[in-house]
Amino acid sequence: MDWQAARVSLLLAVLTAVLLLPPGVAVARWLAFSSWRGKPLAEACLMLPLLLPPTVIGFYLLTALGQGSPLGAWLVRQLNLRLVFSFEGLLLASVLINLPFMAQPIQRAFAAIPNSVREAAWVSGLSNWRTFWRIELPLAWPGLLGGVALTAAHTLGEFGVVLMVGGSIPGVTRTLSIAIYDRVQAFDTAAAHVMALSLVAASIVAVAAVFAADRRQPLQDR
Amino acid sequence: MLQVSLQNTVPMRLDASFGCAPGELVALVGPSGSGKTSLLRAIAGLLKSKTLRGRVAVGPEAWFDSERGLNLPPQQRHAGFVFQHYALFPHLSALDNVVLAAGPAPQPDQFGALFERLGLAGLERRRPAQLSGGQQQRVALARALARQPKVLLLDEPFSAVDAPARQALYRELAALRQTLSTPMVLVTHDLGEARRLADRVVIIDAGRSLQTGTPAQVFASPRNARVAQLVGIQNHFRGRFHKVEPGRGRLEWGDAGGVSLQVLDKNRIPDGATVTWVIAGERIDLLADGACEGNTLRCKVLEQLVLGETSLCTLQPEQLAHERVTLSLSTGQLRFLQAPAGGWLRLRIAPDAIHIMPQKDVPAAQ
Repeated sequence: MDWQAARVSLLLAVLTAVLLLPPGVAVARWLAFSSWRGKPLAEACLMLPLLLPPTVIGFYLLTALGQGSPLGAWLVRQLNLRLVFSFEGLLLASVLINLPFMAQPIQRAFAAIPNSVREAAWVSGLSNWRTFWRIELPLAWPGLLGGVALTAAHTLGEFGVVLMVGGSIPGVTRTLSIAIYDRVQAFDTAAAHVMALSLVAASIVAVAAVFAADRRQPLQDR
Repeated sequence: MLQVSLQNTVPMRLDASFGCAPGELVALVGPSGSGKTSLLRAIAGLLKSKTLRGRVAVGPEAWFDSERGLNLPPQQRHAGFVFQHYALFPHLSALDNVVLAAGPAPQPDQFGALFERLGLAGLERRRPAQLSGGQQQRVALARALARQPKVLLLDEPFSAVDAPARQALYRELAALRQTLSTPMVLVTHDLGEARRLADRVVIIDAGRSLQTGTPAQVFASPRNARVAQLVGIQNHFRGRFHKVEPGRGRLEWGDAGGVSLQVLDKNRIPDGATVTWVIAGERIDLLADGACEGNTLRCKVLEQLVLGETSLCTLQPEQLAHERVTLSLSTGQLRFLQAPAGGWLRLRIAPDAIHIMPQKDVPAAQ
């Protein structure tokens, strides 16, 4: 077991979920309740990371953030921030590609709240902000849990984007999935087995948590 | 006093005006899709429409005034709204549902009397899923009242509960009215409910308010054939009105050789006008065949449908092969008359039970 890679993977998963939760909730709530005409296009854009090959996303991120690009050069010059082959770059890429994994379960949870319940909150005098905190969020929390679990599980297993943007720098950008690839290349299948099984277990726990949260939701009208 | 005058085109056509005094209960009555719920939502500020015009005001305070560009959000309108399917907050207890609506810093103990009054004592800690439909609707009513609303809006509040619970809710609403001086607007498609509960009814059809009045007025004197149809008067016919002498007229029913009926002349219909007319069911008497007095027609019994204690009886006047009169009678009365299908009866219509309306008000396609 490559514990260094496990630590990077775990840190990446936790930070990605934490950073992505607020914008994920905002995007999901907007998509659930908005009647904007361009909403299908916005939903399609949100789905892109699910459809495009990870290497394609990784390639574009590499191109956009590398020091040869205006943005990459500006970030290095102004903020001394290198976003390729660094943990920060890996985190940014992870946040971008995980948006649909975070937003979709939350969007479904918001959309399941009957409109009349939100309207009842408004006519009861609750501001939009209080309606969000007191009514919408407590009713949508299983969706939030699902989004966090799926994001974390997907981050742990992501390979293509991680390899393209982060490379395989031990202790910095080498994650468990990269470490498995390295072990297989070195014909060390025993170590690869251990790490692969740990990822399978983490994924099962995450998905089980989503289903368990959904079952423990007897208070919401279905 | 609630004053409503609203016009809208998209998504729902509206053209309705009515008022509701403090303590008064006005029922908006109409078929499904007639716009009555949209009207209620517009009063509460829940109707999203760029084409909404008009004014909603409670006393001197305007909630909506399209001329002034005023459109208060629902939160600022102070309307208590009871939804058809309760719309309780499912994750909160009955008490918390009410407390949350009571505004900032409410004292939970102030709601004891309200829960007691609505028959909810002891249920404060239960969640909506642990309450029956009738109990949920009472919590919804308590929530609407907790805010001390300036107007109480009830959107078909009894339609989702079973019949015994509905009867109990009728009684509770009637009792509640004794203690409230709030204008109340009830949306219902149930005519019996409107007659039973409302001080006045507003008949709504295709978004338009067709007639406003006390239930007795509207049900006895519908303004036109559509209103007659909407309030469930089955017996509406066409005929020709003739003046006879001041206060008295004659109604020709059917073509030449038809029936002539005595009617009152309220001086609103010109002599010789083609009219639509209705008869209120409770002002019709059925007599055994052979009796002959006043406005009496010999009729053939075409059909008798026994519906338990009441029966639907379809009659055909002797001289008018194409006309049908449908009456709801007690099954016992029908048995007493001994007139099976195919038999004959006499129909006596009091002249003042005939309500005549100008023909021009009849919609083309009904």
